[in-house]
Amino acid sequence: MVEESDTYHIRPNHRLKFKPAVVKGYIRDIVRERLSDVQYDPETVAELTCSLAESIKDKVKTAEFDRYKIVVQVLIGEQRGQGVKMSARCLWDADTDNYAEDVFMNDSLFCVVTVFGSYYY
Amino acid sequence: VDLLLMFCDVFQGSFNSEEAENVVKESVLGGDDYSQTHVNKWTAAIVERCLTQLVKLNKPYKYIVTCSVMQKTGAGLHTANSCFWDTSMDGSCTVRWENRTMYCVVSVFAVCIA
Repeated sequence: MVEESDTYHIRPNHRLKFKPAVVKGYIRDIVRERLSDVQYDPETVAELTCSLAESIKDKVKTAEFDRYKIVVQVLIGEQRGQGVKMSARCLWDADTDNYAEDVFMNDSLFCVVTVFGSYYY
Repeated sequence: VDLLLMFCDVFQGSFNSEEAENVVKESVLGGDDYSQTHVNKWTAAIVERCLTQLVKLNKPYKYIVTCSVMQKTGAGLHTANSCFWDTSMDGSCTVRWENRTMYCVVSVFAVCIA
């Protein structure tokens, strides 16, 4: 996990920063692969949401954003023509921290995934 | 103020979400019905309020506050979070609130700085 020792780095090297575009690609692939032909079913979708969050977190970990803490949030809802609004506000260091999000819809459900990355100084 | 107290509890390991619910209940949504034209304003106001209350705590934490508002049409909604962080120092909390015409789910994540 994150190391205990102090590195005295106040920001990561540019190449090692949290890259939203890369993470968005991961989210897209995983969600499309897992949800493209799934119908909304109240019994199974709860467990599906959890496992999707775990998979996305594990995939983002493989990208090895060093010293970054990752938060993944997955929202799955049934499509019944209702209105939904989701918003987020963050208090963080805009230079080092970032987020990636993606929305997936098919005719029976919609899925919103947000991944936040926060640098541990 | 209520979310504040709730957060102190989270950091110490225990958890009381009742106080946190009041931030959503008392403020913006109250007795209103779901309205497409107002929902933007509502979600923005909720997250702003939560964040300003959290900042007043003056703790060495970064905060992420998300809010989802959904109209009630009998549809189901599920949320899940998965976090890669320091479990001894970081924490999160989710508050669910509803009225006659809508559901509101607010999640707060606090991540420690060094």
